Amino acid sequence: MTAVQKRIIMNRIALGFSTLSAIIALAFLFWILAVLVMKGVNALNWNIFIFEGAPPGYAESGLKHALVGQLILVGLATGIGVPLGILAGTYLSEYGKNSKLAHTIRDISDIMMSSPSIVIGAFVYAIIVMPMGHFSAWAGAIALAIIMIPIILRTTDDMLQLVPQTLREAAFALGAPKYKVILSVVYRGAKAGILTGVLLGIARVAGETAPLLFTSFNDNFFTTDLNEAMPSLTVTMFNYAISPYEDWQQLGWAAAFILSLFILGLNIVGRLILFAGKRK
Amino acid sequence: MASIIDIKTECALHVRDFEFTYKGATAPSLKKVTMPIAKHSITALIGPSGCGKTTLLRSFNRMHDLYPGNTYAGEISFEGRNILDPKEDLIHLRTKIGMIFQKPTAFPMSIFDNVAYGLRLQGIKNKTELEGRVEKALEDAAIWKEVKDRLKHDANGLSGGQQQRLCIARAIAVEPEVLLFDEPTSALDPISTQGIERLVIELKEKVSIIIVTHNMQQAARVSDYTGFMYLGELIELGETENLFVTPKEKLTQEYITGKFG
Repeated sequence: MTAVQKRIIMNRIALGFSTLSAIIALAFLFWILAVLVMKGVNALNWNIFIFEGAPPGYAESGLKHALVGQLILVGLATGIGVPLGILAGTYLSEYGKNSKLAHTIRDISDIMMSSPSIVIGAFVYAIIVMPMGHFSAWAGAIALAIIMIPIILRTTDDMLQLVPQTLREAAFALGAPKYKVILSVVYRGAKAGILTGVLLGIARVAGETAPLLFTSFNDNFFTTDLNEAMPSLTVTMFNYAISPYEDWQQLGWAAAFILSLFILGLNIVGRLILFAGKRK
Repeated sequence: MASIIDIKTECALHVRDFEFTYKGATAPSLKKVTMPIAKHSITALIGPSGCGKTTLLRSFNRMHDLYPGNTYAGEISFEGRNILDPKEDLIHLRTKIGMIFQKPTAFPMSIFDNVAYGLRLQGIKNKTELEGRVEKALEDAAIWKEVKDRLKHDANGLSGGQQQRLCIARAIAVEPEVLLFDEPTSALDPISTQGIERLVIELKEKVSIIIVTHNMQQAARVSDYTGFMYLGELIELGETENLFVTPKEKLTQEYITGKFG
């Protein structure tokens, strides 16, 4: 066997192994999705969107309470987390730059990004739920916002730094004050990237269960009162899935399917925006 | 000793004993530069890389102030005051002394909004006035015919040469007294370069122009006065024709004949 033949065989073996590994890794993903779609689609019906939670055995039971609760929690978290994240990211990129404070904030934010979400839940439990004496939607939303902030802060920081410095200088050279340079030129240049970061941040917290367990807790009934425990798709799913009742388990599958669809949608839209922004 | 000609006509700017030191540097990057800039003329700054010509140019609109820690000494007088004064209103100064950069810097917005940017900063909101001044600026920058049907389009869709003329339109829309050009054609093809050079010559009727260029031919083609800089000093300032034909300083002669660069 010549050296060239040997190399061709080695190449084929290596290629075979890496292809196999990729297939195995992706197979699990598709397996999960397939099970989710099959079970989820079967469990879907209109009642889910019309009725709230009911004891097991009732035909008129649904997920309306959890769907609305989920939207309220994620919406509130977005309302708190997005402005804070974007403003903090703006500070890092436009004001702090390479200062010690900016580096410290970046490091801490990276640590926060990888800290277990249940720890954030425990923190909010200690500083909000305990003093208030009860669970609340506010506590849940704040926990989610805390998880969201470092993601949006880092994306904003990175995206703003991609805007060429000469663009800023050109705006300054026309006599623009700094805040106007940031608002009208820098943000515009980084628009697509920041929006993508926001969507990915929302998608990240929309699937959180642990921090909600002891902040917004759960409720089997429809509520819009932000000062009370509020149901969410994730915690509802958890409760229904571990229950021994067949119909509750079905609702759990439906919740899992809807939630996955929502997060998948956010991710796809986020990527499309980034792609469209890059092509221009 | 440097050879600086005395400009008989009115001066737009006058640099006296100007020194500039970058943050953390031990020695100044510009040393005792004294230089008159004639009004309604084109003054070119030439010299090898690192000689300080861009540093000098960026001092005229105090661009260095965007990065803290740099220090100025001496005087640059403009409209009867020293613009190096810490109390100088930089926003006002920069509307009077505009700048064109090496790479085109079209903002990520429409062609119209790009040109209207400086005007809106000055508080002009009236639509008719804005439209009129944008059109005039684009016409003066010799780009009106090419863009008049797509004013609402994204400015980044224009070619490099068009973007550079758009930036010139944006700068002249606010009617500055002085325009600073920092190697405005080094990122452009020869035909676009020709267009920009023609435009620069036309513009001197309205504004005083200082242009930094790596290209000696360009300096010879467009400028009325040329300053040769070397290692942070202004070695010679003369009428362009005289400087290139009969330089007074040995260094200038060596540079323009290509002995070093």
